[in-house]
Amino acid sequence: MAPEVLLAILGMAVASYLCRAGGYWAMGFVPITPRLRAVLDAVPIAVMAAILAPIATTAGPAEAAGLVVALAAMRLAGNDLVAVIGGVAAVALVRAVAA
Amino acid sequence: MTVSFTRHGLRHGMRRSWPLAVGSFAYGIGFGAMADQAGLAWSEAVAMSALVYAGAAQIVALGIWSDPIPLLAVWLGVFAVNARYVLLGATLRPWLAGLAAHRSYATLGLISDGTWAMALRERTAGRDDAAFLVGSGLALWVAWVSSTGVGHALGAVVGEPRRLGLDFLLPAFCAVMAVALWRGRRDAAPVLAGAGAAALVAHLAAGPWHVVAGVLAGGAIAAVRAPNGSGTHGA
Repeated sequence: MAPEVLLAILGMAVASYLCRAGGYWAMGFVPITPRLRAVLDAVPIAVMAAILAPIATTAGPAEAAGLVVALAAMRLAGNDLVAVIGGVAAVALVRAVAA
Repeated sequence: MTVSFTRHGLRHGMRRSWPLAVGSFAYGIGFGAMADQAGLAWSEAVAMSALVYAGAAQIVALGIWSDPIPLLAVWLGVFAVNARYVLLGATLRPWLAGLAAHRSYATLGLISDGTWAMALRERTAGRDDAAFLVGSGLALWVAWVSSTGVGHALGAVVGEPRRLGLDFLLPAFCAVMAVALWRGRRDAAPVLAGAGAAALVAHLAAGPWHVVAGVLAGGAIAAVRAPNGSGTHGA
């Protein structure tokens, strides 16, 4: 394993553990305010939106179809694996037709 | 206050969590295939799952993985996606504070959304054995790590992943997670701010900084719109 990859993974592990243990530790002496709670609640979905935004703005027909199918399947079926497989299948299908 | 922490609770947690472990296994196959796409070696993908043990955060890290690895952005991404664990951990304080510190802090290393929710239901039902969290966490960890290895191996034998749309696994997972995380209209502002800031920054600069910009914008909007109670001004 390359040292750079190992460093990246170890840093990720530390970040992950600090999130898991940090709230418990902090509750020992400070309350979590409504404002902090609102930020912690909102940040994960903001990350997903941030990753998707440049993909959505540069998407071709195949990627656009994949996004629509994945989002619609998740809303309708509520099953994340079905939705992901549907989105990937839509991309493969449009590419096959367009090729 | 003392809390029980027994082998029986551990085994009970393992048995009760098998549906979650099956879901984790399926999800891990997807992550393993994505890690192969992103250029990680088999051992690197498995080590990441074993040490980080956070699906969404690991997928976000793959999304900004490049050569050289943008370490700071990867670590910040993990923090941002796992921010919710701060709240989960905080809610466990009244329960785990009765344990010795080495036990409570080791238990926290294994929490995940599903096992946390299941364990709180157990406690509400009067079964307060905190080893339930360890047993269910271990079951999901084994499923997650082993399936990462399987998924990576499968991804490596598929060949020409673009034809199968496998390069779209990562965006599809992010879109699906956004829907799963959606709690209604109060999430609209952070989502729009995060997406807008990210689209703008991605246009201006290559690399992972659009994700950092999205986190800052989304977090800032949420802070401004939060109900008051922290002593600062705001609506």
